[in-house]
Amino acid sequence: MIQLLKIEWLKIKNYNAFIILSSFFALGVVAVNYVAFSVYKNMISEVNAAKMMSSFSPYDFDRTWHTTSYFAGCILLLPGLLIIMLVTNEFTYRTHRQNIIDGWSRKQFIEVKIVLAIIAALASTALVILTALVFGLASGTSFSLEGFSITGIFFLKALTYNMVALLISVLIRRTGFATGMFFIYMGFENFVSQLLDIWSIKLRRDNTIDLGSMGDYLPMNAADGLLTFPDNPVKSLARGVLPTNYTPVVMVLCAAYLVLFCWWSYNRIIKTDL
Amino acid sequence: MSILSVDNLCKNYGAVQALNGVTFSVPKGSVFGILGPNGSGKTTMLGIIMDILKPTAGSYTLFDTTPDENSRRKIGTFLETPNFYHYLSAVRNLKITAAIKQRGDEDILQVLETVNLTERKDSRFSTYSLGMKQRLAIAACLLGNPDVLIFDEPTNGLDPVGIAEIRELIKQLRQQGKTIIMASHLLDEVEKVCTHVAILKKGKLIAAGDVNEILANDDIVELGAPDMEKLKNIIGRLTGYNDMKEHDNLLQLFYPVGTTNLESINRYCFENGVVLNYMQLKKKSLESKFFELTN
Repeated sequence: MIQLLKIEWLKIKNYNAFIILSSFFALGVVAVNYVAFSVYKNMISEVNAAKMMSSFSPYDFDRTWHTTSYFAGCILLLPGLLIIMLVTNEFTYRTHRQNIIDGWSRKQFIEVKIVLAIIAALASTALVILTALVFGLASGTSFSLEGFSITGIFFLKALTYNMVALLISVLIRRTGFATGMFFIYMGFENFVSQLLDIWSIKLRRDNTIDLGSMGDYLPMNAADGLLTFPDNPVKSLARGVLPTNYTPVVMVLCAAYLVLFCWWSYNRIIKTDL
Repeated sequence: MSILSVDNLCKNYGAVQALNGVTFSVPKGSVFGILGPNGSGKTTMLGIIMDILKPTAGSYTLFDTTPDENSRRKIGTFLETPNFYHYLSAVRNLKITAAIKQRGDEDILQVLETVNLTERKDSRFSTYSLGMKQRLAIAACLLGNPDVLIFDEPTNGLDPVGIAEIRELIKQLRQQGKTIIMASHLLDEVEKVCTHVAILKKGKLIAAGDVNEILANDDIVELGAPDMEKLKNIIGRLTGYNDMKEHDNLLQLFYPVGTTNLESINRYCFENGVVLNYMQLKKKSLESKFFELTN
């Protein structure tokens, strides 16, 4: 696998879109958190009404892991787009065929792409950990690993986005169509998810049936549902009317979707004409 | 040992039968031409052999073993179009090819020199002309000095000088004892460089064997005389030719290659009271041979 990854690196290290999208994502993670950090600091110091929240500091240690992960999670589209470009390039240039003609097996071709998606998710997570650490230290609190496990959830979310991107790329093959489909699918799933969430609230309110937030049971929203907006006083007030978060169920579903995406991408490459 | 052995290979695209029970084998050291008009299944067959297409039925072996990625690494293959990363230079693209083939980078500059791409070795593939792309694909095949090469329409897009260079290269490779499998729709090309040939038509194998047997060309002697009826009469009694036809008010005699003696035909006619006013030795065109085989 190391040898296969070295070859992938030869393919991407001089690819401008890779350098640009990776830089945008890295800057984006820092920027989006810096904006949130600044807004909060200004709000506390300038707006008296917000002083009730002064005990709640989102970038203090033990909260910084969650806050940074949440905001970075909002721009996970970028690594997804990068995966789409890297994989669809192979189809556009027909190098997927040439790699196999030259001596890769179909299995090696798809396995290295799956590992690439995992590495991209790991790199995103490492970036989030580093950013959370910097903002945590900047907030003036002392280092703590409490709540650090949320970065694992961030990894799961990043991996889900990358795997959806990989599957769409393998199924559609053309960069433009695959990118369009990625956005359309996300929009569609979010729309259905909102409807399911409203239905979940009504079910709980009117029939006292608590099935959880059913929108979270959809593929991409499962990962989104695990990484919710950080706890705050307003959110705590709303908890009474919201359906219960069945976190273990959503986690199992999320893992199951990941297995499904891998299996589908793998089979597509192994069994069809290239 | 056969380098490639194809057994009853079939490939369907829906209702279209691209390959229909093709069977042949490629002996070691041969230059094996796969000849057929466009759409006859040549590229489909090579695609199956390279595992980028799945056969509907049938099987094949490479080096007398069940094929896998290891057997493909021992072959330099250029199939259909030059496939490279457009944003990378020739050298960087060949580094990827060499790494996949599990060979070192040391002969990259040498193969680029062989195909006259040294000057443009650091230019992006996207800036290459079609001919340069084609030559880069051939350079990639030569990496690691493989014993077997597969070329699919290797002279497509090349200018006459480029075509001559590639033909010369193929001849040199043959002299080095390499086995070359070459698909082409150009009879002339196959006849000039191949030792063996398989002819495909609409997915079916219609002939396979030694190129001199399959593409043997008759000598044609065309005769004309003021009295064509009398000429026909006396030629009817002449022996040594395979066939006689009338064409454009001339008489055509088909002789086996190298057996024609114009002087004796002329003397025979004169001695039998016919003075010829036209006599020419022609080679049967490859195109007509091809049409004869494929129609």
